[in-house]
Amino acid sequence: MKTAVLLIPLLPLASFIITGLFGKRYFKEKSHYLSVAAVAVSWLLSVYLIVQVERGEELHWQVYSWIAAGSFKVEIGFLVDQLTAIMLLVVSTVGFMVHVYSIGYMKGDGGYYRFFAYLNLFMFSMFMLILGNNFLMLYVFWEAVGLCSYLLISFWYTKQSAANAGTKAFLVNRVGDFGFGLGIMLIFVTVGTLSYSGVFSSLESIGTGTMTAICLLLFMGAMGKSAQFPLHVWLPDAMEGPTPVSSLIHAATMVNAGVYMVARSSPIFSHSPNAMFVVALVGAFTAIFAASIGLVQNDIKKVLAYSTVSQLGYMFVALGVGAWTAGMFHLVAHGFFKGLLFLGSGSVIHAMGGEQDMRKMGGLKKKTKITYWTFVIGALAISGFPGLAGFFSKDSVLAGAFHKGFWYFWLVGLVAAFMTAFYMFRLIFMTFHGKPRDEKAFAHAHESPRSMTIPLIVLAVPSAIIGLLLGLPPESGHIDHFLEPVFEAVMGEPVHFGLLDAGLMTLSALIGIGGILLAWLFYVKRPDLPAKAGARAGFLYRAALNKYWIDEFYFAVFINPVRALGRGLWRWVDVGIIDGFANGSARFFNGVGMALKPSQSGKAQVYLFSMFLGFLALLVAYLILTI
Amino acid sequence: MPESQQTAFILLSILILTSAFCVVLFRNLIYSALSMIGCFLGVAGIFILLHAELVAAAQVLIYVGAISVLVIFAIMLTGHRAGDLRLFFHKQAWVAVPICAVAGIALMVVMATANYNATKDAQNPSDDAIASLLFNEYAFPFELVSLALLVAMVGAVILAMKEKK
Amino acid sequence: MTPLQQYLALSIALFFIGSWGVLARRNIILIVMCVELMLNAINIALVAFSNYSPTGAGRGEVFVFFVFALAAAEAAIGLAIAIAMYRLKERLSIGDFDEMKG
Repeated sequence: MKTAVLLIPLLPLASFIITGLFGKRYFKEKSHYLSVAAVAVSWLLSVYLIVQVERGEELHWQVYSWIAAGSFKVEIGFLVDQLTAIMLLVVSTVGFMVHVYSIGYMKGDGGYYRFFAYLNLFMFSMFMLILGNNFLMLYVFWEAVGLCSYLLISFWYTKQSAANAGTKAFLVNRVGDFGFGLGIMLIFVTVGTLSYSGVFSSLESIGTGTMTAICLLLFMGAMGKSAQFPLHVWLPDAMEGPTPVSSLIHAATMVNAGVYMVARSSPIFSHSPNAMFVVALVGAFTAIFAASIGLVQNDIKKVLAYSTVSQLGYMFVALGVGAWTAGMFHLVAHGFFKGLLFLGSGSVIHAMGGEQDMRKMGGLKKKTKITYWTFVIGALAISGFPGLAGFFSKDSVLAGAFHKGFWYFWLVGLVAAFMTAFYMFRLIFMTFHGKPRDEKAFAHAHESPRSMTIPLIVLAVPSAIIGLLLGLPPESGHIDHFLEPVFEAVMGEPVHFGLLDAGLMTLSALIGIGGILLAWLFYVKRPDLPAKAGARAGFLYRAALNKYWIDEFYFAVFINPVRALGRGLWRWVDVGIIDGFANGSARFFNGVGMALKPSQSGKAQVYLFSMFLGFLALLVAYLILTI
Repeated sequence: MPESQQTAFILLSILILTSAFCVVLFRNLIYSALSMIGCFLGVAGIFILLHAELVAAAQVLIYVGAISVLVIFAIMLTGHRAGDLRLFFHKQAWVAVPICAVAGIALMVVMATANYNATKDAQNPSDDAIASLLFNEYAFPFELVSLALLVAMVGAVILAMKEKK
Repeated sequence: MTPLQQYLALSIALFFIGSWGVLARRNIILIVMCVELMLNAINIALVAFSNYSPTGAGRGEVFVFFVFALAAAEAAIGLAIAIAMYRLKERLSIGDFDEMKG
């Protein structure tokens, strides 16, 4: 088992180094062989690991003492338990599929080798993040995945908007990481250690106030990384990156790091009900907020981006109300079907020759069959259509909220579910159904190559059946049992499926179907309705379309003042004072020289006079001194 | 100092100082040069009073015989004309008077109040003594001075030479 | 006044008359002449001290010889310069030669 644990991150790392160093000259279009192979092996090993963990094996392994500075000791160590194993499986599966997909999608790109190298670096960082056994490793690789995200978002770095998006992602993440870092420091100051086992066993010694502070600070990091309000602004912009990146990083893996972190820190959070409430509140608000924006977006990837933000909110609601396994279940399901949906959208974009605006699409059903059907499966899953993955995972979240007494979160979640179904099928109807709105592009449209369609099919399978596999019976299904050892300290009363739950389940199913029907109405039956509804909603519609002007707000309140401050400092301090000092001293000496210049008049009689006067002065001085 | 010597001294002093004044004040260069010669002769007389006959002789030979002639040659080679007072004295002239006067008086005061370890009578070294000093103890400066003279000679010739066209 | 002091007074007076001339006059040749006056004053002082000094007898005269030689050399050079300058500018006013200014 130890070998497997070591190889899983190190193979992609080695591939990154080799592809990065030699890809440009030697591998070129074949750069993908090594990278895909490395990730494929990692995937196989993750499957092996989860089988082992299922059998009851766990691993706590200190590999290397990294820092030993007085009382501050940090090791590099690995922790493999059920939570780790399940995260590894999701990350490696989606990662493997994305790698295969990228062979087709990125074909012919000038930075082909660079793309695969960065993807491998990301896989390494993500694996290490999951496998680490202390907070410092978590933090280091948290930053590392942020770096990879930056590199991959601004992959087409010559495009100004892509570069800006990468910078924005990094900076917004940094704001969250500031809180995260403070939280970790607070943990160390109060407990004296940073390893998970050490911290979780010393929780009694922390006062409630400190505990809440720690939790909130840690959650700040999660807000940044998992794009919750108000730090959500980077994720839609991150769509500038290539679609495989959006799928892997911004749907299935990196953004889940925040959820993973909160789940891993469940012992800490469960000691602070206030913090947990905040987590659930932020999650719920984000869920409905982002869904409302996604309703009116016209770029296919932006719809999916806001959908991701919204679904992440769901996960935080689950964690916040104490339904830990429900949150993880939704994470797993969402990873598969959102990854699928993004790859599908990439296929659509590829078919439309680079076009991303849905208003120019239409009627693609006939031309891209595989993409269409896999996309439908993913959309049904996310809308909570009975039987598919999303139905079970979403329902467990909502039921969890309801049972713990947070009926208002349940209600918000329900409304968001309705919106989710609506906008997903709006997307499908606009893209695949109806008459093509751009004839020329439609004529060129074609199905994607096998390297792209095979991952779609592969990912459609778990999107369809993983709910059935893991979620039955509801609330005490396979996944709940599997994750029990991890959360047993913090899970409340086990819930048994009763009549109430059946009723709730039916309600969420109806809501989902209702959303689908409404979308059908608006976009297939009576296409004039959207415009009318938009006109009636007026201000709300415009607000949603403009993302509620949050970016503009940030610019006005944070960015522009800081820029102005920088400019002011540059002008007054740097140029004025410092340069002024340097130039001024030069000018001073210049002035002194100029002032002394007349003494060199070249006139001999002046020189003679000065000599004489000097002699006189000496004489007088001598007289005074001696007489 | 015996009476005769005192009178001689006073007469010679008057000669010297008057000639000096004439050198400074005359506007005609030749008159100034001639006054300078008179001054030099007076100084030679002072040397004789001081029992330094060799020096007196050297003074007459060098200063009157060579330098004065040199000066007159120079005056002749360059134009000199009579003219406005401003041509001869420049603006700072009036400042020079008090400065020199003050300096002179100050120095006189110093001289008058200083403590001399002087003998009452005059010491008169013989020529032999001077010569032996010059060639034994001060031989090195002697050689150096001759070198300086050589350099001056060559330099003066080069400086005053007419440029070949 | 002791005799020594009388000679010294003469020397000082002659020296400062010469320096007044150096400062006040414009013609270069005349300035050189006044410098000769100053040198003569020095010679008087030197010989006077040598005459009344208990230990330094004779040395003053030796020094005076050196002064003679160097005064002659300096006068020669100075006048050569004056001639050269006259050839350059047709004038001998010391105020005209300020090319070294600044």
